[in-house]
Amino acid sequence: MNTLLQLKTISVTYPGASHSSVESISFSLEPYSITALIGPNGSGKSTLLRAILGFIPHTGSIQFNGKPMKEQLHLVGYVPQRFQFDTSFPITVSEFLHLSCADQNFDHEIEELLTQVKMDGKKNAQLSELSGGQLQRILLARSLLRDPQLLILDEPEAGIDAGGEQSFYSLLNEMVKAKKLTVLIATHELDIVYSFARQVVCINRTMVCSGPPQKALNEDMFTKLYGHGLQFYGHHH
Amino acid sequence: MLPFMQRALIGGILVSCVLAYFGIFVILRRSSFFGDAVAHSSLTGVALGILLGLNPLLTAMLYAVMVSFVIPLLRKETRLPIDTLLGILLPVSMAVGVILLSITPGYQPELMSFLFGSILGISWGSIYLMIAVSVVLLTFLHLNQKKLFNISFDPKYATLLGIRVSRLDMIYHAGLAIAIVLGIQLVGIVLVNALLIIPAATARLFATSLATMILYAPIIAAVTTIGSLVLSYYLNLPSGPTIAVMSGLIFVGALLLKHKV
Repeated sequence: MNTLLQLKTISVTYPGASHSSVESISFSLEPYSITALIGPNGSGKSTLLRAILGFIPHTGSIQFNGKPMKEQLHLVGYVPQRFQFDTSFPITVSEFLHLSCADQNFDHEIEELLTQVKMDGKKNAQLSELSGGQLQRILLARSLLRDPQLLILDEPEAGIDAGGEQSFYSLLNEMVKAKKLTVLIATHELDIVYSFARQVVCINRTMVCSGPPQKALNEDMFTKLYGHGLQFYGHHH
Repeated sequence: MLPFMQRALIGGILVSCVLAYFGIFVILRRSSFFGDAVAHSSLTGVALGILLGLNPLLTAMLYAVMVSFVIPLLRKETRLPIDTLLGILLPVSMAVGVILLSITPGYQPELMSFLFGSILGISWGSIYLMIAVSVVLLTFLHLNQKKLFNISFDPKYATLLGIRVSRLDMIYHAGLAIAIVLGIQLVGIVLVNALLIIPAATARLFATSLATMILYAPIIAAVTTIGSLVLSYYLNLPSGPTIAVMSGLIFVGALLLKHKV
């Protein structure tokens, strides 16, 4: 099977911590697939994504296109859970996106991307004027500016209202198809997993299960992930 | 124009513009305490220069750069918050400076000029040094502006963009430390943060984009410095405190104007 990203026995222990935040996680991503990473709060989803992105040290091996991940980070786009910044600082959407471009003139690309993420007309708006959903669209546009092969999203629904969440995921789905991206997305939204993901990886500090959502997500798995007391309703299409 | 006033204006305009440019990043990073800590601790550098018979400005620069390197190392090793570390470094380093000066034989007239600035007494030699250092610092900021904004806004994302964050951050802090020591000549250790923070903060009140903020901050700094030097000359006021007070008044005026508009 062709793989774009391959993780082998990834473990992360934060300095001073008595136990690892994630331990021995292994899975791979096929090109042009959407994979959902799920698990309860504190299960290590964000930590694992940060390790893949090279933000924190880890043990184990991460290969991208058969090469060490740290040499391939320029091919990765990233949308964080929350983008925190000084909202009183004057910066326009266009200036913010230009910061992520190389030194050449990217005006045309930026205008095109803003249209694609349905934010045309917001080029000269202040970043602080945007709603949570609009800011996530701008972060999505930023991550796409470098023509990535892999897009990593860390609970992008955080800070968006329910309506904004649905439209963000529809937009993401469109962009993924149009740009032929491979996506790894950490999420709590099971609807999103069933609607968009080809593969699901469930972790709770260690690997719990992986596979197509319809096969992998069952009552046993939910008990392992979230404990007893969670009502499970099967999802049928 | 009197020669000492020419020198004061040349040095004052240049250094205040450099500090205002750095101030934009300092405000964005919310690290104004860093400027204060480096300025106060550079008194040890000044004292070492006087004690060893070396140029106190150069020893203060070297000491300030060393402090700027030590702060991130201490942060990494101790994992203490940055304001706690600076709160330790500032009084200890300043106290070491005062003790060193107290054991230096004879009266130390330079101490007051380092504490509150002495731009009107600056020599052409110091002005040439200021011009050279200011040009290097402005060039560094201009060439690395985009990378520095990336690091200031989102350091993790900056690493994805291939920016060597640690290395550039180290150079930025060294440059900031040198700019602060230049500012010490203008307004002194105690007041230098006024030139670092206030023009950039005033610019932020009216700026609608990064581009306008980068334009306004040095203009506000230069106008404040020129006005203050002229005022201090005609009213026979100390130049350093006049610059700090004028900066504060312009900020308050801008704030009132903004709320009126």
